[in-house]
Amino acid sequence: MLQSKFIETVVGIFIAIGLAALLMLSMKVSNLSSLTSEDGYVIKARFLNIGGLKVRSPVKMAGVVIGRVSNIYIDEKSYDAVAELTIDEDFNNIPGDTSANIYTAGLLGEQYISLAPGGEETYLKEGDEIKITSDAVVLEQIIGQFLYSKAEGNSEGDL
Amino acid sequence: MVKLGQLSRIPLEVLQTLGRYGLDFFERLGRGHVFMIYVLMGFKDVLQRWQLVVIQIFSVGVLSFVIIVISGLFVGMVLGLQGYNTLVDFGAEESLGVLVALSLVRELGPVVAALLFAGRAGSALTAEIGLMKTTEQLSAMEMMAVDPLHRIVAPRFLAGTISMPLLAAMFSAVGVLGGYFVGVGLLGVDDGAFWSQMQDTVDLRDDIFNGIIKSFVFGIAVTWIAVFEGYDTVPTSEGISRATTRTVVNSSLAVLGLDFILTALMFNK
Amino acid sequence: MQNNQEIQSKDILVKIRGMSFKRGTRVIFENVNLDIQRGKITAIMGPSGCGKTTLLRLIGGQLRPQAGTVTVDGLQVNHLSRKALFKLRKRMGMLFQTGALLTDLNVFDNVAYPLREHTDLPDSMIHDLVIMKLQAVGLRGARHLMPSELSGGMARRVALARAIALDPMMIMYDEPFTGQDPISMGVLIRLIKSMNEALGITSIVVSHDVAESASIADFIYVLSAGHIVGRGTPQEMQQSDSKWVRQFMEALPDGPVPFHYPAADYDEELLSGNGHG
Repeated sequence: MLQSKFIETVVGIFIAIGLAALLMLSMKVSNLSSLTSEDGYVIKARFLNIGGLKVRSPVKMAGVVIGRVSNIYIDEKSYDAVAELTIDEDFNNIPGDTSANIYTAGLLGEQYISLAPGGEETYLKEGDEIKITSDAVVLEQIIGQFLYSKAEGNSEGDL
Repeated sequence: MVKLGQLSRIPLEVLQTLGRYGLDFFERLGRGHVFMIYVLMGFKDVLQRWQLVVIQIFSVGVLSFVIIVISGLFVGMVLGLQGYNTLVDFGAEESLGVLVALSLVRELGPVVAALLFAGRAGSALTAEIGLMKTTEQLSAMEMMAVDPLHRIVAPRFLAGTISMPLLAAMFSAVGVLGGYFVGVGLLGVDDGAFWSQMQDTVDLRDDIFNGIIKSFVFGIAVTWIAVFEGYDTVPTSEGISRATTRTVVNSSLAVLGLDFILTALMFNK
Repeated sequence: MQNNQEIQSKDILVKIRGMSFKRGTRVIFENVNLDIQRGKITAIMGPSGCGKTTLLRLIGGQLRPQAGTVTVDGLQVNHLSRKALFKLRKRMGMLFQTGALLTDLNVFDNVAYPLREHTDLPDSMIHDLVIMKLQAVGLRGARHLMPSELSGGMARRVALARAIALDPMMIMYDEPFTGQDPISMGVLIRLIKSMNEALGITSIVVSHDVAESASIADFIYVLSAGHIVGRGTPQEMQQSDSKWVRQFMEALPDGPVPFHYPAADYDEELLSGNGHG
């Protein structure tokens, strides 16, 4: 009987350590809040090009993550890309004339949406749309434009 | 002339051998599934005798604890060292935490823990059940109107599937600490950046949950192979040694193969 | 006359009719008919490898014959569902060659195992029952030992105590005398006899130890090459004029069971000079 008590205790400790490891992985290694951000309110933002933006990409304001991209689809009439942003309930005072930009974290990092707050008194609420947006910067376009202007400049110089 | 005749015979023999192996493989696969159905039917019994599972978690899980923790520590430390040497060339050594954590929770934690588990616990399970068969203990239980699939195999299977995700989590957690120790403690990576970049990038659902699902699937596969090989042992001492070898080889292959399939399903965006 | 026959059929606990059993292509039994009388000790003898243990497994329902029937206490073992078979097995005990004790339990727990599995008796009552069974085999003092600490003869006695734990109607002994020293052989013979006399348990003893089996058996079957080659009381068997039975009972090296394994002609093989023929 004593032996089985011992085994039970050791197994209990083992399971506790296993659960502690899981807890450490979810709290310390990953950001647990990324799961809780599921409940919040949804606003929309329209872009001509979203670049490499993905569902679950972060939505940041002043560099702080305040939500996630929860859905991306094409508007069937205008052929714009529409991103649905799920914003944490805590941030319920985003001004109506806030603008949305798609930026890249670092040179090769993942893309995220950055919100720049405006000055309006009315706040965005569930289902509202952000009016002012700027598209993702696509590296190939920049390089293309750069080469094009370079070529133009060169040909002018030749003349 | 003779040579030509022999040559033309070779492909036929190769095909025959291939066919025999193929048939043998599918026959074993089928028996393994029928076997598992009977084992699963025994879960009702097992729930009434939880004590049996606790004892098996002890011999399957707790006794694998030390090897898992030590291996996890070393794997994490090596990752820290190697990752640092590569990242520092790009001036990105702050991302060391990300590299260590992602490698561990997505791949190395579940896979290496499962391989170690197959070697430590899987082979022991096969040998134990195989020896019980060889010494007629399983037969004796059957004659006592006790189904060994329910009383011997089912608790072991359940214990293996419970222990594996816990062991993999321990492996990853200790590995991250090992990477931290080398990166921050020895190589001077910034403490705050190590954790914050890691927390920023590692996703609870995409990375950690998927890692747990992987280790859960590996746990099922390894324990299944181990108990089946044990139960299917040819009851001689040579049979036990062959079955034990097969457990380690087959479950390692199964883990690596399943890992590829699961990775393709999970991280394919 | 008819009444007499009815009584006779009631007296038969195990009835095997027209039973054939094959392993792959190897024929183990062919059209075997066999009766085991209730309350008697029946010995089944035959040379090694003639399928004696297989016969016990067929009676216990661990194997199923390809043809014919195996009936135990009026139930056809080879057609029973798993549940009914397990119910029947609670009334059968089997003593394996090696004892087959559960190695992770001590002697007491081994004997208590079937009681704990199949009854809801309180611990104190299980304790008393186990002590009684162990006393019957003379190993009450060894209850704390592990199976690895027992000698072969002791392990068999513990296994016997376990086999009678549920008070079965019959016990099957698989080679109980093999590899025993004379003393423990004597102990086992006495135990088998006393189990049968005191508790009225039908006993089937599978063995190739002629003298020992003949000394306790009420009836003997001699098996060879898948057939029953002799049957009768020990006295009848001693006087049998069957070549098979004589060879077996008198331990002759050559006879119907040949000394040589079937092979090509000896002279021819030597002369041809090619061993791989």
